[in-house]
Formats: sequence, C-alpha cells, structure tokens
Amino acid sequence: MSVGIVLVSHSAELAAGTAHLAGQVSGGTVTVVAAGGTDDGGLGTSAAKVERGLREADTGAGVVVLPDLGSAVLTVRAVLEDMPGRRVIMADAPFVEGAVAATVTAAGGGDVAAVAAAAEEARHARKL
Amino acid sequence: MPVNSDSGQPSVESQRGITLAGDLHARPAGALAVAASRFASAVSVSAGGRTADARSVLGVMGLGATSGQHVTVTAVGPDAADAVAAIIAILADATKTGG
Repeated sequence: MSVGIVLVSHSAELAAGTAHLAGQVSGGTVTVVAAGGTDDGGLGTSAAKVERGLREADTGAGVVVLPDLGSAVLTVRAVLEDMPGRRVIMADAPFVEGAVAATVTAAGGGDVAAVAAAAEEARHARKL
Repeated sequence: MPVNSDSGQPSVESQRGITLAGDLHARPAGALAVAASRFASAVSVSAGGRTADARSVLGVMGLGATSGQHVTVTAVGPDAADAVAAIIAILADATKTGG
C-alpha cells in the first residue's frame, strides 16, 4: 500500500502524459491518477475530476496532489474543503519533476509527508 | 567505536565503482531510487565530480552520467554492503538497454 498521486492539470493530455511518465520511471507500482481538463474536454480544471481522482488514488496511505498552475490550486482547495478527514497534501512543486519525484518516493514506501516533500524539493533539482 | 543502529548491526561504509555500459536515463534512475529507499543505509551516487542522494531520482538524473563514465556508489549504515551491491546491479543491468 503506497501513497497515491493525483495530477491536476488544465490539460487532459498533460495530466495523462505526466502520469504515464511518472508511472514508467517509478516501476508502475503506485496509483497515479490524471485529473486534467474540464468536464467537456476543454482546457481548465474540473472539481468532479479532482474528487474522483482523490477517491481513486487513496488506497489507505493518503494522497499527494500536484496542481500544474495557480488556478488548479483553487479547484483542489475547493474539493478538499468538501472532503474533510482524508490524508491529502497538496504539493507546491514543478509539475513534471514533482510528479516523478513524488511517485518514485511513494514507490519506495515514503509516507504522505515524505512524498510531498520529495515533490517540493524538485524545485531545487538542477537538470544541467 | 562503531555506531549501532536499532537493528543492532554496526554501521559500516561500503563503496564500489562501475563503468556505465550506457547512459543513465530516467527509468534506471527511478529503479535505482526505489531500490535505495529499501535500505536503512544512506546511499549516494557520484559521477563526474558530482554526488547525488541515491533516493533522489531527480538528483541521480541530474548527474548526467553517460556511457563509459565511471560511477561510484557509497553507502553508510547497517546494510551498506547489500545496498551497494543492489545499486551496482541496477546500474550494470539497466544501462545496457537505456530508456
């Protein structure tokens, strides 16, 4: 049982592609749910998709949520207010790097705090 | 005097090197980080004068380790030798195929 990950993006394709990448890099043992786009498939975020994603990703060890841009944060916050009592942390992290770092840390058995910290530390990781 | 862990095993340092058969890409870096987190020992990976915590997939990828480069794996802790052996095995295997 590992921490689940929810990726909230304005783009369904961006969320799905990032979830695929994070799953591949981490070995596929972690539940990574893409919650991207609006309910009618446009660019934006959907409270219904975020809520479904949180339920699907929570296998008992809690969930770390990564928003792609600031306004996704508003959607996640609104959903979390209606879902009290769940172990959910929203991480302030670069989307792709944070998703990969969080998922690998979850695959290694990290708890919600460790997984969220790994995502947030991604901001300091140099690529070059 | 050696430091003792909770398991009662003395903390030791273990180190081995390997010359990469291929570039260290994302998937082997991920496998390496997941494997490193299964050990109690602190594990680091060094290449080209840079060192990364083996549990940090982004840190390991950030080393930019390429085919033919020498990589050193160091572990400190109660299971250091096993940790180094596991990480070296991943580096030996995964960098053959890339990805």
